Amino acid sequence: MSEKELGRKWDRCLADGAIKIGTGLGLGVVLSVLFFKRHTWPISLGSGAGLGMAYANCQNDLRSSYLLHRSEKEQ
Amino acid sequence: MAARLLPLVKLATKVTIAGGALYIACDSGLLGSSEQGSEALEKAKAAIPPAIEEWMKYFGLETRLPTIPKVEFSPVQAWNSGVRQSISSLSEAPTNAAKYTNQGLQYLKDLTK
Repeated sequence: MSEKELGRKWDRCLADGAIKIGTGLGLGVVLSVLFFKRHTWPISLGSGAGLGMAYANCQNDLRSSYLLHRSEKEQ
Repeated sequence: MAARLLPLVKLATKVTIAGGALYIACDSGLLGSSEQGSEALEKAKAAIPPAIEEWMKYFGLETRLPTIPKVEFSPVQAWNSGVRQSISSLSEAPTNAAKYTNQGLQYLKDLTK
């Protein structure tokens, strides 16, 4: 993995993280207002879930160059 | 009869709104892989100026909003230059410390002459 590609992967990771945390926050706010009487915990749940999804995506992305992918195995 | 239906209607409305929000979030690729997320971000950034134009025309405010000045500030460049400057100052610190100490001692010696 070249330096440039690594930099691009990190950029994608951070942008993706911001998007997912924001989406989780938004969905948490919607759920909290609609169903859970304006408690705080759905908001924290949503943003935490977003953070977790972003972490998993980033991990997969950064590891993908060290793993053998199915398309290469079939050769 | 209506009293029994009303909570049901409220619940149905709430479920529709929540379900719609969830559907939009999943459908636009916000919750997918990193590439999908950045794609959605690009689409959103490209779609904002026309949307703002539409809203301005709708409200009848024909005056040109002062265009947001294109800030030439790149966080990446700022961060990189910050890192370079701090590391270079750290690496020159011993030399600078010795120089300033000598200068200080020289000054004191000159005072006592």
